[in-house]
Amino acid sequence: MMSRIVVMAALALALSGTAARAADPRYPDWPCTQAKVPVISLAAVWAGPALDDAETKWKDDAKVSALVAKLSARKTPLDEAEKSVKDFLAGSTDKTANAKLLFAGLFDTLNAQRSQVMSGLERVSRKQREAADKIREETLALQALQGATPRDEAKVEALSNELIWKTRIFEDRHKVVRFVCEVPTTIDQRLFALGRVIQQEME
Amino acid sequence: MLRMWRVGLLSALALAAVPAHAFIAYVSNEKSNTVSVIDTDSWTVTKTIKVGQRPRGIDFTRDGKFVMVAVGDDDTIQVIDAKTQAIVDSLPSGPDPELFAQDAAGKILYVANENDNTVTVIDLEKRARLGDIQVGVEPEGMTISPDGKTLINTSETTNMAHFIDTSSRQIVANVLVDARPRFAEFKHDSSELWVSSEIGGTVSIIDPKKHEVTGKVTFEIPGLRKEAIQPVGIGMTRDDKTAFVALGPANRVAVVDVASRKVTKYLLVGQRVWHMAFTPDEKYLLTTNGVSNDVSVIDVAAQKVIKTIQVGELPWGITIAP
Repeated sequence: MMSRIVVMAALALALSGTAARAADPRYPDWPCTQAKVPVISLAAVWAGPALDDAETKWKDDAKVSALVAKLSARKTPLDEAEKSVKDFLAGSTDKTANAKLLFAGLFDTLNAQRSQVMSGLERVSRKQREAADKIREETLALQALQGATPRDEAKVEALSNELIWKTRIFEDRHKVVRFVCEVPTTIDQRLFALGRVIQQEME
Repeated sequence: MLRMWRVGLLSALALAAVPAHAFIAYVSNEKSNTVSVIDTDSWTVTKTIKVGQRPRGIDFTRDGKFVMVAVGDDDTIQVIDAKTQAIVDSLPSGPDPELFAQDAAGKILYVANENDNTVTVIDLEKRARLGDIQVGVEPEGMTISPDGKTLINTSETTNMAHFIDTSSRQIVANVLVDARPRFAEFKHDSSELWVSSEIGGTVSIIDPKKHEVTGKVTFEIPGLRKEAIQPVGIGMTRDDKTAFVALGPANRVAVVDVASRKVTKYLLVGQRVWHMAFTPDEKYLLTTNGVSNDVSVIDVAAQKVIKTIQVGELPWGITIAP
């Protein structure tokens, strides 16, 4: 029992160690192996005409706003989203203007979505560091309790159980973080793919 | 009359058997451990072949019968039979082979092994190892001069292009280029060697006789930070007039006028564009895009992207049947 706790606590500490050693010193809380790119620059995804006032006006167009919301949702499959872009642009009178509005909306929305996911990851990363500190402290406390004479079995048992729980939560969170680390890239891919379809339709 | 009819029928059959642009491209997918086979007539993936771990460098044998693919994490090069599209053999590379080059006759293969700073020399007919050449740290780009006398190998860490005499297998010159040289390509007339530097963001042009850098191609894309422009793959038309340079996370291929060494156009392709290959008729140029998991088809004459084909995860290298 004791050895299991020590192993788990050691594991937790090892994990927190990796989280603390961020690959990029500019972003100490960034927990992912993927490099952190804070915002997607427009030029990386768009080679079309300047967006100009489309950057602010897209919100005023009800049809465009609704479509942006639908296309930005991760639950909308990408091929379905691409088809919606084609349908929308095929049926519009001023194709270029609408294409610019639609892309401006997607660029705004998906970049914001990405920022949210990334700040969430950094928040969890900070929490994990705190949790690791706590586990480290309690492991030391448990060792002290176990070495004491007379030994308070009830206390040892209570603290052991708590440590097991805390370690388990820590590990679960660690797994979720690794999964969520893929999300910014998925958003990049969606923005690029939709931007490419929009540009092709404009030609 | 009957004979004429027969001749007509024969030529009709011959035409039917060889459609105008039907070429076959093989793409290595680094993350999904597969090779995608693309038919350039329909522009679709016709087969996905399971290969070893971390496939990167990929090339047809000169006779077009086999495709060799370096599977780095399995420390070998697998050989795919182009007819059956099945793995039939493997070649004895060193640890973590990434990229390789073969001589003009297709008899000797030189393999850059990323992990032990060597280039392995392999006899392709016997499929046997002939020896090793000690090179710089983390060998990367590989190419052979059109006359077969010089092997070029770039070292990722020491930022050098090593010139190796293929007969003595000794390094005869080292040329310093910009940070992290990735890929090397000779002009077909042998007068220049182009080396891309991923971190330096440039292509160095080297005089292969004097072993000197004579110029650099630089890239600038308004709105993109310099770090996002990472030159990797290079393709040059046979007339040596136009070069195409893949710019990694800039998601673009630069079209370069070889004579003036200036970029004339940037083409938005896919995310993290890496390597490229021409169809044998040079009508099309295909690029691998690692993050968008697709291949872009560029119409070379029109300098326009005409098609995107989804492949496996993290497409890296590409080769087209001769």
